[in-house]
Amino acid sequence: MQFHLNGEVRLVASALLGAAVLVSPVHAEDIVLKMWTLDNSGYKEFIAEAAEAFKATHPNVTIEHQIFPGDPYKTALKVALVGSDGPDVFFNWSGDRAKQLVKDKLALDITDFGNAPGGFAKVLPEGWLDAFRYDGRLYGVAADAVSKYVFYDKAYFAEHKFEIPKTLGELGNLCKAIRKIDPNTVPMPLGNKTRWKAIHWMTMLNERAMGVAGTAADYDLSRPADQLYTDPGYAKAFQALVDLQDAGCFEDAPNATEYAIADSMFATKASPMEYCGTWCTSGLDAAGFTDYGFFRLPLMDGGKGSFDANFLVPEGYQVSAKSAHPKEAVEWLSFLVSDEQGLKFAEKVQFLPSNAKLVDKAQGVPASFKDIARDVGTLKQGVNVLDALLESTVADAYMNATVEVLNRTLTPDQAVGKIREAALAAQAKK
Amino acid sequence: MAPSLTSTLGDTGKRPVLNAGNISASAMMAPALILVGVFILIPAAVAVIGSFFDFGMTSATWTFVGGANYRRAVTDPLFWLAISNNIFIVIGSVVSQVGGGAILAAILDRGIRRGSVVYRTIIFMPVVISSIAVAFVWMLILDPNVGPLNAIVKTLGLSPPRLGWLGDPAISLWMLLLIAAWQNVGFQMMLILAGLQAIPKEHYEAASLDGARGLKAFWYITLPGIRNVLVLATLITVIGGFKVFDLVFVTTGGGPANATQVLGTYTYTQAFSFGNMGYANAMAVVLLVTAALLGWLQVRLSRRA
Repeated sequence: MQFHLNGEVRLVASALLGAAVLVSPVHAEDIVLKMWTLDNSGYKEFIAEAAEAFKATHPNVTIEHQIFPGDPYKTALKVALVGSDGPDVFFNWSGDRAKQLVKDKLALDITDFGNAPGGFAKVLPEGWLDAFRYDGRLYGVAADAVSKYVFYDKAYFAEHKFEIPKTLGELGNLCKAIRKIDPNTVPMPLGNKTRWKAIHWMTMLNERAMGVAGTAADYDLSRPADQLYTDPGYAKAFQALVDLQDAGCFEDAPNATEYAIADSMFATKASPMEYCGTWCTSGLDAAGFTDYGFFRLPLMDGGKGSFDANFLVPEGYQVSAKSAHPKEAVEWLSFLVSDEQGLKFAEKVQFLPSNAKLVDKAQGVPASFKDIARDVGTLKQGVNVLDALLESTVADAYMNATVEVLNRTLTPDQAVGKIREAALAAQAKK
Repeated sequence: MAPSLTSTLGDTGKRPVLNAGNISASAMMAPALILVGVFILIPAAVAVIGSFFDFGMTSATWTFVGGANYRRAVTDPLFWLAISNNIFIVIGSVVSQVGGGAILAAILDRGIRRGSVVYRTIIFMPVVISSIAVAFVWMLILDPNVGPLNAIVKTLGLSPPRLGWLGDPAISLWMLLLIAAWQNVGFQMMLILAGLQAIPKEHYEAASLDGARGLKAFWYITLPGIRNVLVLATLITVIGGFKVFDLVFVTTGGGPANATQVLGTYTYTQAFSFGNMGYANAMAVVLLVTAALLGWLQVRLSRRA
């Protein structure tokens, strides 16, 4: 069979073809943005869905997302950023790590892109922007924050008529009471084998002893050398940890216990409390444990800390200085912290998003998540974690000193001495 | 005879330097040489050069500091702690792995008549498991809360260490030795067993006729017979002991509080945690020179073997 087109039909067909060519959008250059993040539960799905949604406004941009476990990520990121095939955008913690990348000119100044219409700086509150602000310029976008609370088994507390402690002394007494019921029950497992669990304790114990203002000049090494880390509050904070250990709060060998074991001891109700991060809620949820409450770390008797201050570590994204597409990279990050994506982030990742405008509408999250989000919203001061905040050698000395205090191979005063030694060396090198 | 491709220096009476055979041998070796060059020699050269500079992992500038990184190592107590831990691991590994391997090999060669293949396979099995997997399995075994070792010790009416097997600075290094021995003793056993089985039975028969049995036969026949194998096994273990990294990194991370820090993990910490790449390079050079010397010794002795 043959089709013959007469002249008019041919003319119309040609006109339609011509029109189709004219109206079809001119495809911009195809852009692939490489993104690196941690492998937190739900992250992959969140980014995949967001990347798909981003295509509505940026059809030519494809997001290539890679995830990494925490510790290897820290090394892999540095290697990749120095090399030629690194990510365009990447996750980072606010604090010393992000600052170092700024100093080494590996993280891009994104202030102008962020302040453009629709940019993240127009959406996020100033407090959140501060997380990645250095010398008045923005070098990252805060995406979320993690906080820490003492989680407790509500049923266990109700059964034994325990009340939420208001001071660290009361917390110690609570541990003693739990041990009295069953000496084999570990009241609040620590799990410090990888050293970061106890440094989280020290972060808050320092605040409870000296307040945020009292430590700031030591942490950033700006205090004169003869006064650096000389506040007796540091030893007092270590002593508080020792007192809790003496009260039987922790397991026998905290420095040999994996954090995952400690987490599972609380999740399986073998232990009635755990000082755990907001990231723990999804794990507890997955383990089917929902009947838990939480409270902020109690105050120290005679300490200068404030109950309005709590552990709060902002995390977010930075753009590589080597990215060939910085504008699109920042547009993508601005999209990720928009109202709608903030809600989706809360639902999928169950972390507290920097843009929490719609977080109350979050569905499929444990009830505790919204309660925690509300509590974080009432904080007047965030306390950044020592291992992210301090210069790396000082942070390492702090972690080792804490291990030794728990092992009783150093007294609190000796531990502070070691930290001061590392701080003085770091200050001299500055 | 293959024709010479270049001047053969035949007139001078010296051997030809280049002929078809040499060329084809060189061509066949080229891929391996290129890989060795790219992945070993060039990085080693860069490490040597880098050891004379001060630079961070992400910093763009290198500052020449001469021998300052080496001087720093000499005065760094952690460097010496790492070296002494390496030496402890080397000596402990030679005793546990070569010594243990020799005993097991002797038992399998002489003591066990039935099922020796089964025993040999079982003992050799950990050798083929990755070090990381071995480390994770042992971490669970040694866990103070849920590990079976604590449960066994308690069942026997004894007290497990208060700070945990891997949390007590006085015990943790011994635990690393134990794990390394568990993983590697099978390899040494196989090596020594092969040496034992290569000794002709006639030697023992002849010695027996002359009245040399038991310890005398071991001293005059077995030991000389496996001497070269023992030297080789010892050298392999010594080099492994100096290079140890993965097992320590995964099980203790060099802790508690640096108690199990070895040169490999300390170099890693300085490079990737503290960003002291120049200093890390200097320590890597120390490790490189040690390993190269031992490697050279190994090659010499294995030639003799």
